[in-house]
Amino acid sequence: MSTDPTVAAESPPGAQVKVQFITSHADISLPENTGPILVPTHLRRYGLSSIINHLLASEKPIPFDFLIAGAFLRTSLDEYLTANGLSSESILTLEYVRSLIPPLYLASFEHDDWVSTVDVLSRSSPLPQLSSDAAGQERILSGSYDGLLRVWNMSSQILATSSSVGDGGHTSSIKAAKFISPSQVVSSGLDRTVRIWNYNESSDHFSAELEPLLELYGHTGSVDSLAVHAPTNKILSASTDHTLGIWSVNKSDNPTAPPQLLPSRRSTSARSKRRKTTSSDSTTPCRGPLALLRSHTAPVSSTVFSPSDPTVAYSVSWDHTLRTWDLVTASLVDTRTTSHPLLSLTSLPDLHLLAAGTSARHITLIDPRADVTTVSALTLRGHANAVVSLARDPESAWGLVSGSHDGTCRIWDVRSTKPSTGAVSGEVGESVYTIKREDQPDGVRKVGGEGIKVFGVCWNRELGIVSAGEDRKVQINRGKDVMASSE
Amino acid sequence: MTAPLQSKKRKAVTRDVPDVGSDVSDDEFQTGLLEGILSQSESDSEDETDEEDGSELDEDAEDDIDSDEIPDEDEEEADSGLKLVNGGKISSAITRKENNNDTEDAGFSEENEEPNYTVTEDANGNPRYIYKEIDPVYDSDDTDAQETTNTIGNIPLSFYDSYPHIGYDINGKKVMRPAKGEALDALLDSIEVPKGWTGLTDPNTGKPLELSRDEMEILRRIQMDEIPEDGYDPYPATIEYFTSKTEIMPLSAAPEPKRRFIPSKHEAKRVMKIVRAIREGRILPYKPPSTEDKESTTKYYDIWANEKPRSDHIMNIPAPKLPPPTHDQSYNPPPEYLPSKSEKKAWEEADDEDREKEYLPTKHDALRKVPGYDRFVKERFERCLDLYLAPRIRRNKLNIDPESLLPKLPSPEELRPFPTTCATLYRGHEGRVRSLAIDPTGTWLASGGDDGTVRIWELLSGRQIWSMKIDDEAVNVVRWRPGKDAVIISAAAGESIFLIIPPIVDPETETTSRDILDAGWGYAAKSTNTTASASVKKEPPAKWTRPGTLLEDGGVLVKATVRSTIKVISWHRRGDYFATVSPTGQNSAVAIHTLSKHLTQLPFRHLRGLAQTALFHPSRPILFVATQRTIRSYDLVRQTLLKTLSPGARWISSLDLHPAGDNLIVGSYDRRLLWHDLDLSTRPYKTLRYHSKAIRAVRFHQGGLPLFASASDDGSVQVFHGKVVADLMENATIVPLKVLKGHAVRKELGVLDVEWHPREAWCVSAVPITPASPYPLCYLTSPSRLVRPLATLEHLRQPPQQLRAPAAPHELRHYGSLTSHTPPISEFHHSSGHLFFTRNHENHSTSPAAHPSPAPDLAILQSLLQAALAQGTVPLEKEIRVREELASLLVVEYERGAACWIRRVRAGYLPLPPPAYGGGEYDSCVCGGCVLGFGFRAREARVGEGGFGC
Repeated sequence: MSTDPTVAAESPPGAQVKVQFITSHADISLPENTGPILVPTHLRRYGLSSIINHLLASEKPIPFDFLIAGAFLRTSLDEYLTANGLSSESILTLEYVRSLIPPLYLASFEHDDWVSTVDVLSRSSPLPQLSSDAAGQERILSGSYDGLLRVWNMSSQILATSSSVGDGGHTSSIKAAKFISPSQVVSSGLDRTVRIWNYNESSDHFSAELEPLLELYGHTGSVDSLAVHAPTNKILSASTDHTLGIWSVNKSDNPTAPPQLLPSRRSTSARSKRRKTTSSDSTTPCRGPLALLRSHTAPVSSTVFSPSDPTVAYSVSWDHTLRTWDLVTASLVDTRTTSHPLLSLTSLPDLHLLAAGTSARHITLIDPRADVTTVSALTLRGHANAVVSLARDPESAWGLVSGSHDGTCRIWDVRSTKPSTGAVSGEVGESVYTIKREDQPDGVRKVGGEGIKVFGVCWNRELGIVSAGEDRKVQINRGKDVMASSE
Repeated sequence: MTAPLQSKKRKAVTRDVPDVGSDVSDDEFQTGLLEGILSQSESDSEDETDEEDGSELDEDAEDDIDSDEIPDEDEEEADSGLKLVNGGKISSAITRKENNNDTEDAGFSEENEEPNYTVTEDANGNPRYIYKEIDPVYDSDDTDAQETTNTIGNIPLSFYDSYPHIGYDINGKKVMRPAKGEALDALLDSIEVPKGWTGLTDPNTGKPLELSRDEMEILRRIQMDEIPEDGYDPYPATIEYFTSKTEIMPLSAAPEPKRRFIPSKHEAKRVMKIVRAIREGRILPYKPPSTEDKESTTKYYDIWANEKPRSDHIMNIPAPKLPPPTHDQSYNPPPEYLPSKSEKKAWEEADDEDREKEYLPTKHDALRKVPGYDRFVKERFERCLDLYLAPRIRRNKLNIDPESLLPKLPSPEELRPFPTTCATLYRGHEGRVRSLAIDPTGTWLASGGDDGTVRIWELLSGRQIWSMKIDDEAVNVVRWRPGKDAVIISAAAGESIFLIIPPIVDPETETTSRDILDAGWGYAAKSTNTTASASVKKEPPAKWTRPGTLLEDGGVLVKATVRSTIKVISWHRRGDYFATVSPTGQNSAVAIHTLSKHLTQLPFRHLRGLAQTALFHPSRPILFVATQRTIRSYDLVRQTLLKTLSPGARWISSLDLHPAGDNLIVGSYDRRLLWHDLDLSTRPYKTLRYHSKAIRAVRFHQGGLPLFASASDDGSVQVFHGKVVADLMENATIVPLKVLKGHAVRKELGVLDVEWHPREAWCVSAVPITPASPYPLCYLTSPSRLVRPLATLEHLRQPPQQLRAPAAPHELRHYGSLTSHTPPISEFHHSSGHLFFTRNHENHSTSPAAHPSPAPDLAILQSLLQAALAQGTVPLEKEIRVREELASLLVVEYERGAACWIRRVRAGYLPLPPPAYGGGEYDSCVCGGCVLGFGFRAREARVGEGGFGC
């Protein structure tokens, strides 16, 4: 293949290396087994990508990324060979994948107050899925510090708003909200309750209702994170009172609520009297937790179900630990201690890893399996403030997005690493793309992320990256071309 | 002889003494006197022998004594000369003893020779000496006898002035007054000693040795330092045997020899020899010195004079030759020989000795552009020095890395975690934030500020959860009650403490908290009923009331009002007691409140100095109270003062205890941060002067991390690593870790408070922030302040030198004050003092010179002024506009280089009195007007400008 015109024209002789292109995607695989190709070593990603496009003879060039030995090629081939001590005689195996398109800003949904959480209902959502015929009926659920849940459609219209304080709504800020099913929503917040709502959409899909279905009492501190497993109707909640709560979506499954935590009992002060008068007419049933998991010694910041086994859950806490729970027996299985307070958690099922965002401005990939000795498999560095929200890439086993108090969302690919420098040992990942807030000018870094903190992030196949933050907006970013090519 | 007799005798003797010159006959007197003196000085045994032998004499003396009765009046006269006590008397007696012996010898010399024994004949007819038995009475030891002579004890001898005796001996007998010196002398004069009496025995004859008249004369001569020999003339007349005089008759009559007058042949022969030699030319009368000779004496050989190429051999040393000039010595060297910039710089920076080449290759366009040799003079000079063999100074370069001289400290990187970056801003307070507190669970942040509100924030996100305006006055301090069973905030605004249950807790905890707060109401009511009579008389130190419905609805449940403005709240770890400090309250400055009883006690009836802050020991019942200069610790159980620490700071602003309780850090308004080891000393173990302005707050991390932080008016928070080891032998390690900057300084107030998270290495600081647009100099709108946690900045630890404040201007002088009782300026005692800082003017150099005290540190003064402002000494509410004329004057002063803080006065930093300010009380002090006087009283501040005209 050295006679390839594009290659031969620009490469000086002697600086060439044989490469073998492979891919795991059938739609972009090369027509026939081409065998090793001699390419000039000064090529970088772009040059290699144009070679592939040339070989594929695609009319519209697709940007590719190249993986050598599981890591992205970020330098020229020559530098890679030098860095790894390889001779140009050896045959390099380059795996090419569609490169991640820089996510572009699509839209912002304005709120009255800081938006703390966001969730997406679409056909490709992990568990609560829309039926496949509901194209264009994606819904965005946002929970705000003003205590209201809002459901948006894609044309930035509010379809439904949860009832206010008087009508059985949250009495304080909402910290977490999630779809359980297309017709059910769960939310929790500073008022220490977990609430389940019925979500009914009218037939024309332009108006909807959020009705309080159930109030779950049991936590004595703000409930900061929720995890939903729809098939088993289980909800996990992480609270600042150092406990995890297990709840059932079904009213009948939950025991009665602990009476001392019900707000109606507070009748001593005038303030609670007032609340009592306003909330007395709400007839939402109150229930208690199936179990409260007590082992953390600091506020629990986030929890997830194990992707492979719904009876196993993981939780992270400010006490620097990641704990594995057996939900059937409501017992602690394992504790993995890191060196920083952990603030967010998501799972990377294909890698059997958990990604945890820390207050020390990085993301740690933790292997939760008990027989693994090293706690931290990889550290992703780049954020300038605490990482409070994580979501995994729905399309890639290696991708994830993080939302941080520095006002940015960063997209990471676990394969994109570099050897670390300085005190941290091991590999250090770097972010692929950075998403700024929409109205945030480039180059200006706000001290402490003031006014632009990101509180929640969600990555959906159809919608892209949805993030919510202190700027009172839900922001949607999407790499269009990737979506187009996958259809 | 018996003892009574002796004592009688003594008595008689002493009585006799004064009457030396009286009618008593000399002979009788002699013996009696001597006996008495001996009896006092010598041992009794000796006395007895004497007396046995001379019994007749004794009897005579007895008679004398009996006959002589001396009137008392005479005795008194005698006393005057002999007031010296026993010792003096006795010594005089001893000295006289020899004389006594002499006199005795005159009378009965034989008995006196062998006083201790009697000689008898033994069986063989030889003489046998029989020694007397030594009577072992107590008095037999004469050394003891002296000491026990008088038994009157330690009373003045003058008590016996009117008696003939001066005390009593061990036997109860009177000790008679001894004879005085003059009397003795008179007596001795009267004694006739035979001529030539020596008191010695001639060994040859066995008879008393008597000196002849000649011998006496010799002795006298020797005594007089004369030459003993009679008739010896030390200076005889000189006899001149040889003189210069020419005698008429010569000693020898021989004729003069011939050689005296005929010329010497030998000499002529020698002269002729020389003449001949001269004639023959062997001797030259004068030869001019030839140059050749000179040269030949110091001949140098040029061994290379005829240098020819020779074979290469070790013995063939070629002539030394300077190397030919190379390319780089050319005036136009090829470019590769020209030095690069770095080489040039290195060459220029290197010392002469260290340079490889003496020259720097330089390129000139043409030979005519080559400048003169600039090193010519220096080179000549060096050459001269070489020729003089002048020793040159050889520099010993100290090849030590200066870093290695610094003590080894662990690098900050190894001491992670510590706060480095600003993570969250908490914006919302109107006016500056005064105080901060993170709740025991580490989730919430409470803050109180000048706007009279207490606010609660979500620590991580910076969201304000709750806000409550509790008072019109500024909230000076906010503290959470320790313990996780209940959630209670205590806040102090003005004179009141408010206990608040914020609506952020679950109903169960809220009930518990309410129970805790309400428990005291019943107690308070009961106690007032029972002790009604007592409480009527005395005003209770604090009034515990309900704050009113409006506040109670908001969760403010209890209000306790004390007598003066509270600045500090410090909770006991159990959460039932808290101490408050109101610096302006005199006796009620420190109060301890019991929450469960709604009871306030004033532990200190009188406190020395102004109380600044108080703190409970983390584990023991100890209360630390800091006044302006000292810290005292009190045991609350035993109610005793345990320790007084003097950190050496001029005005303590804050203190905090290490969670282990053995170490204390103190911050002061004069920029010092002091670390006290309580076990070590009352002086600070370390003094850290890294801040350029007053330190407002110091805080230890209470959650196990070895960290502490100090907040200062210079707008920085400094984080230190302070590790305390359990080992008592090892000192605490203190490493500066990070300067957290980025806090704006507004109105000279920087970071007012700092607080650590209970577990994590997060700290929160209360700062004013710089607004985007400058604020008008108006007091009514205060710039928005905010609280900033997890502080900031990229700068790593700075060396201390860079952190020092600039030196104070020299113009400032401490000048003293009007009132004499005023403390010095460093005190800045607002309750009683006036302070005057003057600027030394050229025209008035005399007046400031009269006060030699050094210029106070300007920064310290500023800090003190700010402290006064912050303390409420100078009420900010009563600030008045700057007077126009004063302002203009001060502008002028500023342009002429007045001290910078005067400008700040103009900028409205200090409140000024209304325009009705005259010369009055400060005129006499300010001496004509180039002086600014500042007088501070308890609640007002005054600026006096004097007459600026001069």
